Amino acid sequence: MTSTTTTSASLAGTRPTSTRPSSTRPTSTVVGTVTLTRFMLRRERFRIVVWSLGGAALTAIQSVQSQNTYSDPGDLAVYAATSGNTAAIIAMSGPPVGLDTVAGGIAFELLGWLCLLTALMVLFLVVRHTRSEEESGRAELIRAGHVGRHAPMLATALTAAVCCGAIALGVLAAALATGLALSGSLLLACAVAGAGLSFTGVSLVAAQVLSSGRGALGLAGGVLAVSYLVRAVGDVNGDGLSWLSPIGWAQGTHPFTREQGWPLLLPLVAVGACGWAAARLLDARDFGAGLVAGRAGAPCASAALGSPVGLAWRVLRSTFIGWSVGVVVAGFAYASITNSVETFTEQNPQIAEMLPGGAAGIVDGYLAVCVTITALLCAIYVVSAVLRAGAEEGAGRAELVLATATSRSAWLGGHVLVAVAGGVVMLAASGLAIGTSYALTGGSLSRIAPLTASSLAYAPALLVMAGAATLGLGWSRRVKALAWVALGYVGLSAFFARSLQLPDWFALASPFHHTPELPAEEWAWPPLAGLLAVGALLTLLGLLLLRRRDIG
Amino acid sequence: MATTGDPIVASGLRKSFGRTRALDGLDLRVRTGEVHGFLGPNGSGKSTTIRVLLGLLRADGGSAMLFGGDPWRDAVALHRRLAYVPGDVTLWPGLTGGEAIDVIGALRGGLDPRRRAALLERFDLDPRKKTRAYSKGNRQKVALVAALASDAELLLLDEPTSGLDPLMAAEFQECIQELRQAGRTVLLSSHILAEVEALCDRVSLIRLGRTVESGTLTELRRLTRTSVIAVTADPATGLAAMPGVHAIALDGERVSAHVDTDRLGDVVSYLAGLGLRSLVSRPPTLEELFLREYGVTPHEPSVAAGAPS
Repeated sequence: MTSTTTTSASLAGTRPTSTRPSSTRPTSTVVGTVTLTRFMLRRERFRIVVWSLGGAALTAIQSVQSQNTYSDPGDLAVYAATSGNTAAIIAMSGPPVGLDTVAGGIAFELLGWLCLLTALMVLFLVVRHTRSEEESGRAELIRAGHVGRHAPMLATALTAAVCCGAIALGVLAAALATGLALSGSLLLACAVAGAGLSFTGVSLVAAQVLSSGRGALGLAGGVLAVSYLVRAVGDVNGDGLSWLSPIGWAQGTHPFTREQGWPLLLPLVAVGACGWAAARLLDARDFGAGLVAGRAGAPCASAALGSPVGLAWRVLRSTFIGWSVGVVVAGFAYASITNSVETFTEQNPQIAEMLPGGAAGIVDGYLAVCVTITALLCAIYVVSAVLRAGAEEGAGRAELVLATATSRSAWLGGHVLVAVAGGVVMLAASGLAIGTSYALTGGSLSRIAPLTASSLAYAPALLVMAGAATLGLGWSRRVKALAWVALGYVGLSAFFARSLQLPDWFALASPFHHTPELPAEEWAWPPLAGLLAVGALLTLLGLLLLRRRDIG
Repeated sequence: MATTGDPIVASGLRKSFGRTRALDGLDLRVRTGEVHGFLGPNGSGKSTTIRVLLGLLRADGGSAMLFGGDPWRDAVALHRRLAYVPGDVTLWPGLTGGEAIDVIGALRGGLDPRRRAALLERFDLDPRKKTRAYSKGNRQKVALVAALASDAELLLLDEPTSGLDPLMAAEFQECIQELRQAGRTVLLSSHILAEVEALCDRVSLIRLGRTVESGTLTELRRLTRTSVIAVTADPATGLAAMPGVHAIALDGERVSAHVDTDRLGDVVSYLAGLGLRSLVSRPPTLEELFLREYGVTPHEPSVAAGAPS
């Protein structure tokens, strides 16, 4: 085309490329999927690596630990006899198949958790790229381009599939590296990826039904919880109910034992059906809308809301409730097997040596471990709750608060206070749940109060963790790693120091190490007072640092 | 002319983010009771200045005074006397608009419930809706209602109408006029020049983190050129020789030119001597001021292939 105007660089030089009739023909609704998938993978690249390493680590730890513990055939037989006949253990793990082999036991204990991990990953991933994008308005920008209506959804599903594949690869590599058989390892990895695909489908639908990202996460998370519960009931009764649960499908492959491949087809059918349903739901609704409309709320704020503490509580409330329910359920579940642990370890003294208090106080030792586990869950909540302040800052909401007559210390301090107070309430609730569960399954009622107290003994340790998170935030809102690394270290030293044969000094810096493990150990004030002082100091330091830096 | 009593006095403000220099010796003075326009292209440092004034950012150099106090050190006490509307309002997704207004108000030290109700009415905002369902304009209205329903002496408004429709923008202008009558001080950062022209007593123009002009609109106009179109009996051929006359287009007896405002008298006398039949003289609009300051020459009478004049 020879043009009389030679302004090739200006906008006037570019004309609409085509006015051919074909451009008005309806184009495919998945145009742009490839570009979008590459874009999403680009945004997920770090997370993919982290999740994959997480899957690998979980697999490696379980594999090494089981192989070390059950190297003796006698031990293994006892393990098979007790675990395979204890309802609570089956409910928590999976179908008791092939427990008389070490690899079968590994699959039994590992597969359910790997499925949960993968399902959580895709839940967050799918909602992040569908509903949350739409909620933030970013999806509008994408959809206005030369992009088909279904392309973002399809690209999300493909990205989720790649992530499931990455976790599966991590699991496979860890299984092979720790000496497990190839066919079983492959089946294990594929089963994990399959569970991920099933919940990709679930999340795709959930993201269409509700109009907020948080709501969609809650709905999909609820389906995940019900799936775990359904397979728990099914596995305990052995009546095939587990086949209604995607986690049951994964465990139905029985890696290393029966090794059947056909259940791997079920997730493919599920993700196809859910994807189809999600696409129809998308067609039926307006951009930004859900199938369930949002309710109208209060036109005025209550007096309590108008303070830094009140606002922080409102920000954290739904997370707090969700975590509390989870921690209470976990405490209840763990403590429900206390009595079977007693019979189990009588025949299996090696296990008893791993518990605080040794073989003599086996019940106390096991209850102490239950308390430590739920306390660690509470610590994770406290850290994530404190770090929410950083997210508030990143979103620009801290600016809105700090432009009022609210000091920086009051803002972050209020946030930390609500986080720690929530953690302490959660500690009390989980201790109560452990005590009640123990009493209901044949233990003594008189243990409820002492167990609640022993759980509350972790309150100073929680303050230390909150202090670490506050210190990071005081330095910069982007320094979240400090608190997460501290948390990982605490978890590692609390649960894996012995089985991984780490030196004694390794746990010295952990606040959990200095908390007396009641009821297996004696109550002691000095370490608790020390922890309180350290926690308060770290928090104060964080608040002071915050006064020195830029906001935003 | 009060000096120490001025609510905002900033001089030589400097602020860098890594290698980016956001403020590079910025000066700003806002007097009590005035509506001060704060103009500049995107990224020129308007929001950074406001954040420094709010004590959210600490300046690398220069000085900033808010009500005679240090905005960094005395932030909390000073914030009781001001209200702020950010350029990009984000709200708590779980709260309703009404709750968000009350939270911001309560944290500041309370707001007037009657004025709150009246403002909700005027801005046509539903306070029962969750803020996640709000558009940008509605989120901005939440911050505006919270600011306008307060008794703050000073309002810092960062592009407050960028998301509002024309009706709401007009309502906003009316609110600002009422504030001015009530003797409050407003710093209004804006891109909408007509709005600034209608509302502001004085303006500061900034570019690349530096103040390029500051003063009343009349003063600023004096610094620039007035466009003159005249029809005279004899051709105005002598115009080209006069100082301060630019972009002359002579077409027989009709002549158009841009005249430095301080030379306008001389030019008009000269044209009168030629037998003036018609004269149209138009002062520069703020838009022309703005475009001239930021390097674009507006409305040259002869568009000679974009050649610089």
